[in-house]
Amino acid sequence: MRLWHITPSGWAGLIFAALAFFLFPALAGNLWLSVFISTGCFTIAVAGVSFMYARLGMVSLTQVGLMGLGGWVMLRLNHAYGLPFEVNLILAALVTMVCGWIMALPAMRMRGLYLALVTLMAAGGLEILFATYQFPNGGDGFWGVKTGSAAPFTRPALATTPEAYLRYVVVIALLCFLLIEAHRRMKPGRAWAMIRRSEAAAMAAGVNVTFYKTWAFGIAGLLAGVAGGLLAGSLGLLDDATFRASESVLIFALAVVGGARYWYGALIAATLYRILPALLNNWGVDADLSFVIFGAGLLHAVITAPDGIAGQIAGALKARKAAKGRAS
Amino acid sequence: MIEVNDVTVRFGGVVALNAVQASFSQPVSGIIGPNGAGKTTLMNVLSGFVQVHSGSVICQGVNLLSMAPHKRAKWGLRRSFQKEEIANDLTVLENVLVQADHVPGNTADKLAQVHDLLAFVGMADKTDTPGRSLNSFERRLTDIAKCMAGQPRLVMFDEPAGGLSVDETQRLGDLILQVHDRTGAQVLVIDHDVELISRICSETLVLDFGKRIAFGPTRDVLADPKVKSAYLGTEEV
Ligand SMILES: Nc1ncnc2c1ncn2[C@@H]1O[C@H](COP(=O)(O)OP(=O)(O)O)[C@@H](O)[C@H]1O
Ligand SMILES: [Mg+2]
Repeated sequence: MRLWHITPSGWAGLIFAALAFFLFPALAGNLWLSVFISTGCFTIAVAGVSFMYARLGMVSLTQVGLMGLGGWVMLRLNHAYGLPFEVNLILAALVTMVCGWIMALPAMRMRGLYLALVTLMAAGGLEILFATYQFPNGGDGFWGVKTGSAAPFTRPALATTPEAYLRYVVVIALLCFLLIEAHRRMKPGRAWAMIRRSEAAAMAAGVNVTFYKTWAFGIAGLLAGVAGGLLAGSLGLLDDATFRASESVLIFALAVVGGARYWYGALIAATLYRILPALLNNWGVDADLSFVIFGAGLLHAVITAPDGIAGQIAGALKARKAAKGRAS
Repeated sequence: MIEVNDVTVRFGGVVALNAVQASFSQPVSGIIGPNGAGKTTLMNVLSGFVQVHSGSVICQGVNLLSMAPHKRAKWGLRRSFQKEEIANDLTVLENVLVQADHVPGNTADKLAQVHDLLAFVGMADKTDTPGRSLNSFERRLTDIAKCMAGQPRLVMFDEPAGGLSVDETQRLGDLILQVHDRTGAQVLVIDHDVELISRICSETLVLDFGKRIAFGPTRDVLADPKVKSAYLGTEEV
């Protein structure tokens, strides 16, 4: 139980974050900057689903819907009060976390497929809400929607340019991963591991199963809220098409394809989700081809790689190390 | 003192426990009986995983059945499972620590206690080994340390010697005998291994088809002709 120990995979994550912080903003043009920013946001959201799946074996199919909720709160606060970006982001994350909890209440009595269905229904409900009321753009009233061009959005004081905003997203994504890792290494992580082993064993160990499951839902919600808030900050406005229930399903599938147990699994998933279609577009190929690739990736994961692409990378690295060990 | 009063448990048409009555007062007591006799069910009643149809359990003056399962662990109930439940992705240390996590106290003390317990069961050099790399004996040893973490009042082992060699069973028996002295907890052991039970338990309850067929000092119980006939032909291999 070494709290401050940095694993090789942890080092790789820190190094990648440093590269992303210094290199990506310097190298990317404006178009790619916005692709990278949204990839960063979705990495955070995927981290939330992956965490629930890897730590507790729970399938959540609402993540993108919750992201939309975080984005909605973010936009609403921005247009209503002149609070700093960070305050709005924290509030958006907290509101989304509470909604994650509320959603967890009926879900708590269910397992496996039933749990997944309840979360999918919640995603469907959110999709309808967003389609009906749209996202706030500076209008009057509770829903804050007006026709015509949107009111300006206040970016964080630290990050007013797209380059700086990408750096900002990278730092927050890193903090989110550290939050998950810290949980894994402390009391909740141990409780979750016992719950995943068996709920009876967890109860026998004194774990309040309902409480810790709810907590997990809260963290996934929190991450979705942060991701949605950051995405809102990137564009200054949001479109309901981004947050359809089908996107939540896709994100979960990609989390499995990427590898839910590894930080880079979330990154791979977000890359497939955001960068692959952009690349295809760039090459003049229909971006819908990415769905075919996702499907193939999912089949591959289900058939041969239960730990996803990240698991295969980890396995390959281990095999190489073992081979080296044998050679020397 | 554990008083099991008239406990009846039904699963559909099956009567898994039929008005079982026993009051365990010795530091280490045993429960034996052929497969399907209801031993695990009785343990599940004590841990709260199975609802009784009627009856009550009073444990050191506390009505155990009114508490939620995780509250019973906080109170001081510990158990191991017939099929051990060591988490593969936690280290040995974490597997034991999780039991101490949910009782009051500061983390440093808990960690010190866990290290102590792991040294006691002989797993001191494996603290950082993940659960998945343990063999079945090491899993059982970890289980024993886990059952001693926190401030246990009642520790129950469900077939702790299942699948172990004679030497390992011997060593396990030695450890279980010391659980009471080290923690002050009352110990209940379920096993098929009559030799193990007669070595470590001073009193024993014998169940067959959910009914109590004998209860008392282990030596007397094992000499009882009813007990002998219950085991005849159903002897475990
Ligand atoms: N959860 C359950 N649902 C239905 N029947 C059960 C359940 N648990 C145990 N039983 C039945 O209760 C009886 C006693 O089982 P058990 O207590 O596991 O026996 P033992 O541990 O003595 O081998 C058996 O007939 C078993 O099939
Ligand atoms: Mg049994």
